[in-house]
Amino acid sequence: MNKFTFTSFTFLCCLLFSVNSVIAAENIPAPASSLENDDFKWADYKKQWMDDIQIHGFLSQGLFSTSGNNVYGKSKDSVSAGSTEIGLNISYQALNNLSFAVQGLYRRAGESTGPEGTVSLDFAFIDYTFFRHQAGRFGIRAGRVKNPWGLYNETRDVAATHPTIFLPLAYYERSRALFVSMDGGQFYSDYNTNIGNFTFKFNLGLTNPADKELLAAITYNPSIQGNLTSDLSLVANLNYEIDNGKYIFALSYANLNLGYDGQTLDPYKDLNAKIDSFMLSAQYNGERLSLTAEYALQWNKFNQLYNPFPPPGNTFDASPVSEHWYVQAGYRILNTLQATLRYDSSVQDINDRKGINSSQNPPFLPAHIMFTQDIVFGMRWDITPAWMLRAEYHRVHGSSTVSAFDNPNLIQQAEHWNIYALQLAYQF
Amino acid sequence: MNFSLFSSHSTHKKQRIFCPFLCTCLFILNSHSIYALEVITHPDNTAQLEQLKQQHNLASVFAMRTLYWPNGERIRVIVLPDNNTIHQRFVKENLHLFPHQLRRTWNRLTYTGTGQAPNTVDSIAEMQELVNQTKNSIGYIDKGESHE
Repeated sequence: MNKFTFTSFTFLCCLLFSVNSVIAAENIPAPASSLENDDFKWADYKKQWMDDIQIHGFLSQGLFSTSGNNVYGKSKDSVSAGSTEIGLNISYQALNNLSFAVQGLYRRAGESTGPEGTVSLDFAFIDYTFFRHQAGRFGIRAGRVKNPWGLYNETRDVAATHPTIFLPLAYYERSRALFVSMDGGQFYSDYNTNIGNFTFKFNLGLTNPADKELLAAITYNPSIQGNLTSDLSLVANLNYEIDNGKYIFALSYANLNLGYDGQTLDPYKDLNAKIDSFMLSAQYNGERLSLTAEYALQWNKFNQLYNPFPPPGNTFDASPVSEHWYVQAGYRILNTLQATLRYDSSVQDINDRKGINSSQNPPFLPAHIMFTQDIVFGMRWDITPAWMLRAEYHRVHGSSTVSAFDNPNLIQQAEHWNIYALQLAYQF
Repeated sequence: MNFSLFSSHSTHKKQRIFCPFLCTCLFILNSHSIYALEVITHPDNTAQLEQLKQQHNLASVFAMRTLYWPNGERIRVIVLPDNNTIHQRFVKENLHLFPHQLRRTWNRLTYTGTGQAPNTVDSIAEMQELVNQTKNSIGYIDKGESHE
C-alpha cells in the first residue's frame, strides 16, 4: 500500500508541475494571426485541462494556556503554541467517472509529534464511479481514504470545518490514529430522493495505528518500545440529509483490529485489541442556530496487556466499554461571528464511570483518569471566507483524554482544570 | 406610508404632481431591490438547463449532489465568494439554503478528496465571462445589473 500511495503521490506531483507550466504558458502573448487557428485549438485543450484540476489547502496555528494539565506542549501555567496543521491537496477529474485525489498533511501536536512535527500522506486514491443514474451513483475509491466516522472525523484536521478548536471528546486526539484513515478501499453510494439525500460509505482495509499516543492510551505506559499494527478493519457510515444539510442524521459503525509489533523479549509482544464501536449523530443547521448531538459507545477488548506489578511477567485482559456524548449549540450573531456552547462527556468504562474500581487495582492510578466532562464556550470569527480566528474556554473535570506525552506523570494529572485557547486558520 | 400628508386642501395640487413622482421613485427603488437573480449557463447548454430544472432541484446541483447534465456531461458549477451579497441572496432566495450549509458540503468534498468544489469568481462580470467560455457550466447573474 505504501508503494501504491507513493506512486500516486509522485504521479499527482507531476500533474501539479504540468499545471504550473500551463499557467506559465498562458502568460505568453498570443502569436501572429497566421497561426491563430491551430493555437485556438490548443488553448481550448489547455482550458479544459485546467478546469479538471483543483488545488486546495489549509493551515492553522493554535495558542494554549491551561491550569492543571498540559495540552499541545507545555501549556500549564504557561503558553504553548504546540499545535500546527498544514494541508495541501490536489484533485484531478480525469473523466466524467474517474478521478484522482491526494492530500499531504504536516502536523505538530505537542510532545506526541515533537517540536519538528510529522508529515503524512492524509489520503491518496483513485475514485471510479461504476454506475450512475438520475438519482444517484455507486462507486469505489481505492488507496488511502478518510474514515467516515461521525460528523467531524473525515475533516478533523481542517480547522474551518468544525465549530471549536478542540473537537468533541468522542474524537479525542489520543485515538486519532485509530480512525484517521484507512489503506484499502471505500465503496460509496449516493441516493437523492424527494425526502432527502442518502450517502453510504463502507471502508475496508488496514488502519495506520503505529502511533505512540494510541499505544500509551491502551497500555498507560508512555515508554513502551514497540508499535501497534493493524489487522483487517472496517468503518461504515450511513448519512441522511434533509434540505441539503438543514437536518443531518448519521449512523457510523467501526470494527477495528490491532496487533503489536515488538522485540522477542518485549513484555507486550502478544498484545492485541479488538474494538467495536458505533456513533449516532444528529445536527440541525438553521440560518442562525445550529444544534448538534452525538452519542458513541465503544466495546474494547484488550488482550495480553502486560502487568508491570507483582507477580512480574503476568498478563491480563481488559474489556472496558467506553461512552462519549455531547450536546452543542451554535448561534450566528452575524454571518461572520458564531458563538458555540457545548457539554461534553466521556467515560473509559461504563461499568466504572467514576473510575473508583480502576483506582483500587494495579497500577493504582487516580480515579479521574477514567473520565472527562468538559464545558466549552467558544467564539468564531470568519474574517474573510479564507481567514478565521477563534477563541474558547473549557472547564474540564477529569483527565481521560489528555496526552500521556504532554502529561507523562499519570499520578499527578489534575482532576479540575481550565483551558484557554486561541486559533488562527486559513483555507483556500 | 403616511397618507395624512396629502389630506389637506392646500396641498391638493402639489399632490397631483408629487404623487406620480413618488410612485415612480418607489417603483425604481423597489425594482432595484427586488430584481431577480437568474441561473445562467453556457449557450450550448440552454436546452439542457430546462431539462435539468425539471428533473432535479437546483439546490442539489449547487450542493454538488447532482453532478451530471441530462446528456451525461459533468456540470461545472461557478459561484461568487461566500461573503458576496449576491451569492448570499441567490443561495437563500433561489436555492432556499444558507451559504454556510453549502460551505459545509463543499469543504467536506474538497478536504476528503471525494469531490470538487465549485469554481469561485470575484464578480458578476467574471461570472458571465467564465460561464460563456466554459462548456457545461452553470452560474448565476443579477438581472438588475449591466454586465456588458
